[in-house]
Amino acid sequence: MTSVVQVSWAREVCRGLAALECREVVWVPDNPLSHVLRALEQDHPDIRTTIATREEEAFGIAAGLYLGGARPVVMLQSSGLGNSINALASLNVAFEIPVLMLVTMRGGDGEWNPTQQPMGRAVRPILDSLEIPHSTIESADRAEAIVRHVGQRAFATRRPGACLLARALWGEAGSGKREE
Amino acid sequence: MTRLEATRRLRVLLKTEAVIASLGHPAYDLFEAGDRAENFYLWGSMGLASSIGLGIAMAQPGRRVVVLDGDGSLLMNLGSLATIATVAPPNLLLLVWDNELYGTTGGQPTATAEGSDLAEAAQALGIRQAVTVREPEAFDKVVDRALREPGPWVIVAKVGESGTASKPPLDSPMIKRRFMAAIGCPE
Repeated sequence: MTSVVQVSWAREVCRGLAALECREVVWVPDNPLSHVLRALEQDHPDIRTTIATREEEAFGIAAGLYLGGARPVVMLQSSGLGNSINALASLNVAFEIPVLMLVTMRGGDGEWNPTQQPMGRAVRPILDSLEIPHSTIESADRAEAIVRHVGQRAFATRRPGACLLARALWGEAGSGKREE
Repeated sequence: MTRLEATRRLRVLLKTEAVIASLGHPAYDLFEAGDRAENFYLWGSMGLASSIGLGIAMAQPGRRVVVLDGDGSLLMNLGSLATIATVAPPNLLLLVWDNELYGTTGGQPTATAEGSDLAEAAQALGIRQAVTVREPEAFDKVVDRALREPGPWVIVAKVGESGTASKPPLDSPMIKRRFMAAIGCPE
């Protein structure tokens, strides 16, 4: 099922992480993130990946990694942003602890699961209310540049920054393909 | 042994360890026992002290990291024990002040008051070195060992409430900058 297009966007995202000198990725599983994990394994073996049991926990680990001198990344599905809000507010924003977020988007056109729609719609307003800048990545050719831009701003301003990965990247918009 | 007494006993054993204190009473007692730049005091994010400590231990493998958590806050993030077991950082000590109640929020009983055992939970999730201590002498002995021998360690200390009045500074970014500079990674 891995097409050239799928590999391409994931590899471009990872190129951006490497350019930012991010060597720590904490993640909670989502299907499209498998492509990113595979690209990291193939192209960037020096980047460590650590799985967390819950998104809020992932932000806690990432905050510790930053305090210890690393430039951390958290990868999560949009639903998991809801599990992370107090960590982002009372830890990242309050203590000025940056983190680069890669968020795979659910909801919207082509979403088969109606329970994903409310949180999918809420992602951007939640980030806006916490004054966390976000940019949406919709094509492989812009992926590296957006990751670099969001990451540079996050680490320079000591705030979280989010890259929202649109479902167009893995070619399922409107396809009705079932993903868990 | 109250939590403040236990914290003072820990303070005597500390050298250059990074210490992360969960919000509320664990942080107040750590400050009262003796402020130091290597202390990181949480003011929110209940449940995340052990996760933050794990991240620091991963990024700084050459430095010992001590987390002061509460029974209520660890119960909020039990998955952290599984992640700590998986990553298995040898330089991490998770000290749980188990007073069997939510001390900072009004003294409501936690599940440990009804028999939930956090050291057994840690062992079941894969942390081999997980013990419960009640007496001051046993506390000193196992903490001293956990600060020297490879971990990860989980020490559940059964403690009474202390009622400390002093509080660490509210300037969170200052606490962060001071902490990072003290452990060798200034911003």
